[in-house]
Amino acid sequence: MSSLKLSGVRKSYGAVEVIKGVDLDIESKEFVVFVGPSGCGKSTLLRMIAGLEEITAGELDIGGKRMNGVDPSKRGIAMVFQSYALYPHMTVRENMGFALRFAKVPKEQIERQVLEAARILALDPLLDRFPKELSGGQRQRVAIGRAIVRQPEVFLFDEPLSNLDAELRVHMRIEIARLHKELQATIIYVTHDQVEAMTLADKIVVLRDGVIEQVGKPLELYDNPANQFVAGFIGSPKMNFLPARIVQKDAGTAVIELVHHEGVRLSLPLAGGAVGDLVTLGIRPEHFGLPGEGAADMTLEVDVAEHLGSTSYVYARAAGEPIIIEREESRDQGDQERITVSVDPSRTYLFDQAGQRIR
Amino acid sequence: MTWAVFRRALVYVLLSIAAFVSVFPFFWMIIGATNTSADIIRGKTSIGGALLTNAATFFTQVDAPRIFFNSAFIAIVGTVLTLIISSLAGYGFEMFRSRFRERIFALLLLLLSIPFAAMMVPLFVMFSQAKLVNTYVAVIAPTVASIFIIFYFRQATKAFPRELRDAARIDGLSEWQIFLYVYLPVMRSTYAAATIIVFMANWNNYLWPLIVLQTADNKTITLILSALTSAYTPDYGMLLFGTVLATLPTLVIFFVLQRRFVEGMLGAVK
Amino acid sequence: MAQARLERKEQINGWAFVAPALVLLGLFMIYPIVWSLWMSFQVGKGMNLSFGGFANIIRLTKDPVFLRALGNTFTFFIVQVPIMIVLALLFAVALNDATLRFRGLFRTAIFVPCVTSLIAYSTVFKSMFATDGIINQTLMALHLISGPISWFGDPFWAKVAIIIAITWRWTGYNMIFYLAALQNIDRSIYEAARIDGVPAWARFRYLTIPMLKPVILFTTVVSTIGTLQLFDEVYNFTAGTGGPSDSTVTLSLYIYNLTFKFMPSFGYSATVSWVIVLVVAVLSFLQFLVARDRRRA
Repeated sequence: MSSLKLSGVRKSYGAVEVIKGVDLDIESKEFVVFVGPSGCGKSTLLRMIAGLEEITAGELDIGGKRMNGVDPSKRGIAMVFQSYALYPHMTVRENMGFALRFAKVPKEQIERQVLEAARILALDPLLDRFPKELSGGQRQRVAIGRAIVRQPEVFLFDEPLSNLDAELRVHMRIEIARLHKELQATIIYVTHDQVEAMTLADKIVVLRDGVIEQVGKPLELYDNPANQFVAGFIGSPKMNFLPARIVQKDAGTAVIELVHHEGVRLSLPLAGGAVGDLVTLGIRPEHFGLPGEGAADMTLEVDVAEHLGSTSYVYARAAGEPIIIEREESRDQGDQERITVSVDPSRTYLFDQAGQRIR
Repeated sequence: MTWAVFRRALVYVLLSIAAFVSVFPFFWMIIGATNTSADIIRGKTSIGGALLTNAATFFTQVDAPRIFFNSAFIAIVGTVLTLIISSLAGYGFEMFRSRFRERIFALLLLLLSIPFAAMMVPLFVMFSQAKLVNTYVAVIAPTVASIFIIFYFRQATKAFPRELRDAARIDGLSEWQIFLYVYLPVMRSTYAAATIIVFMANWNNYLWPLIVLQTADNKTITLILSALTSAYTPDYGMLLFGTVLATLPTLVIFFVLQRRFVEGMLGAVK
Repeated sequence: MAQARLERKEQINGWAFVAPALVLLGLFMIYPIVWSLWMSFQVGKGMNLSFGGFANIIRLTKDPVFLRALGNTFTFFIVQVPIMIVLALLFAVALNDATLRFRGLFRTAIFVPCVTSLIAYSTVFKSMFATDGIINQTLMALHLISGPISWFGDPFWAKVAIIIAITWRWTGYNMIFYLAALQNIDRSIYEAARIDGVPAWARFRYLTIPMLKPVILFTTVVSTIGTLQLFDEVYNFTAGTGGPSDSTVTLSLYIYNLTFKFMPSFGYSATVSWVIVLVVAVLSFLQFLVARDRRRA
């Protein structure tokens, strides 16, 4: 299995630059997920690695070898597409074995490899069916099987679960994670769904507007986002962002006050900054405490409370700004009432006006 | 030079040759319309000064207004009627299914393979007996129900969203109103493509008008020019002038409806 | 109760929409076909008809003009249709490349011949292919031939000229069908094949062609029907003679002559027209058969 290295990779369509200098190291056997909002360039980056798009500037190495401009079929990669891209007029068996026919592989070996891949993916009973006779999940597995058969150095997945319904998506997620373990493969996986990213990845690459915002292990990104964008992107429901101001500053600590809730003051460790600076306080919905538990309490007007059984989501307002609170054991919280929550400073994040994390 | 670059160059060359070959006759025709017959035969490929002479000769030999009116009337009325009747049928076959009508449709497809030659004699006899030979009716009537166009509309209707019809029904529209106010606007490109095809076919229709139109002043431009071409020593300059005139309508319609046409074809080939 | 009424409404509407077309077809197609079938068993000149059983069919086998017409029609079909289909496919595949420049221009140019008026292109082609016409002049200038080809004076070359003309006329038409079908194919299929190392020729042969099979079948059947009924071009190019010396007579031309030029033998001409029907039916059936078999393989 191979490692990858991207150095200063850029991509432009005419005058428009869509990938603006990406540096990335991917270890062998690592499961890396490219995640980000629509248009961030994650699919473009994947296609550049695949060789379907040209790299305008920068270097791409796969397995230590320079791969810029190398034909896709010679990069040691296999790709699973969002639409599966199965050959509609061939059976599952033919679909999976098709590429090997041109690699001068003897027929018996092709058959063996196809059967092996089919076994791994539980496709044995479907080998003689045509794609149109298969369900979405089955087609997906055939697409993956087609990739496995080629025994590539790197697997590329382009939003493979987007076309599946919710339940199937969960099931296939587990399948893909299992595959990763069994094949010990290097996988690059593109998705816009941060849940898939969190659950599948060894390493997540968060992209926005063609730039890497942060790279790290899933929990690292959750616990320690480098900027406001990553903080808001990872974690569901989204982190709440409240404007605040520094009202007191000592070396190493600061006291900040929420702009719209005078009276809510928190003392936080902070190296830089001066009194009067505007900052943004980030706090995840699941990190609000019961009144009295934390350093400061806030009372909010509730718009809507959603009860899912074990958890409740309370959509509240603080001086016109929406806040989401996630809480267990809040079944009694009704709509249009008030709620009091507490804030624990150790579970908050501070960001400057440019969105960067400040500590 | 890599193979990929070479292949790309080859493609451009191939397409350029094809495009040139396709367009050259038009170019030649227009040039020819401005030259004298003698020059044309000699193979002159530059613009000459005989345009007005050719025009004069043409208009004296041919009762152009009348002849073009014949062609136009037949083509326009024929196209309109064909579109109406055939699209109604295509819509009907697709939207209101019944086993019996499916079998009829299958029969229609079989009928497509019947050559016109098999029907032209009985048709001629029919119209003779009805004393309708040499009339517009005789030329237009047999072409109005076109199986090919019915098939084309049926295919295209497969892509028509049923929800639109359901919503219209809930809103209280009658089936006829649905066809008129919902289907027609949505299927514009299909109609555009069909218009080009049908108009062209009608304007260029040769064999049947040849059989059925007997007097010179009822003939279409297609027939007249064809007759003139068979003269022993045709005046090519005049002829090419006439053909330029005869080609203009179809070219105009094509260019006007062109974009819709490709959309329409895309919609039907599913 | 309401269900039954709903179904009745469906039925009524269904018939209402298709009725006008069906009536017209019944009148102008079914009736003539039936009449023509009955006619093919009649012998006699003009309106003096009497039942002749299979006499017409026997006459067919002994009729040299008919046999030549059959041969010619078949020759046109065998040569012209495959060439046109292959060319149309190649052009469509070439034009399906989104990175190609001037795509729209090429596409329009190749399609424009289909919009030509029949007369326009007959006249133009006749003058281009005249013995001292531009085609000969160009060929001689390129040193491809030493002397001018008498295109319409030579039995072989006359056929060639007509085949060239028809191919010129209709290739663009079929190309548009293929282009439309190609654009409906998911681009990722080709990308997947590229990544998997399937060479370009194999992508064309094992992916494009099979995926286009329905359209190709449709166009070949339609082209078959068209070419087997060939009339317009031959009539115009040879001034109705089907010459030289019957070398370009097609079945339809023969029927026309039998009916309108010579002393009309309605019965016999009807019989000849049924020959066309038969040949078309057989060939179409064969084409469907070929299309089906390859799928299993």
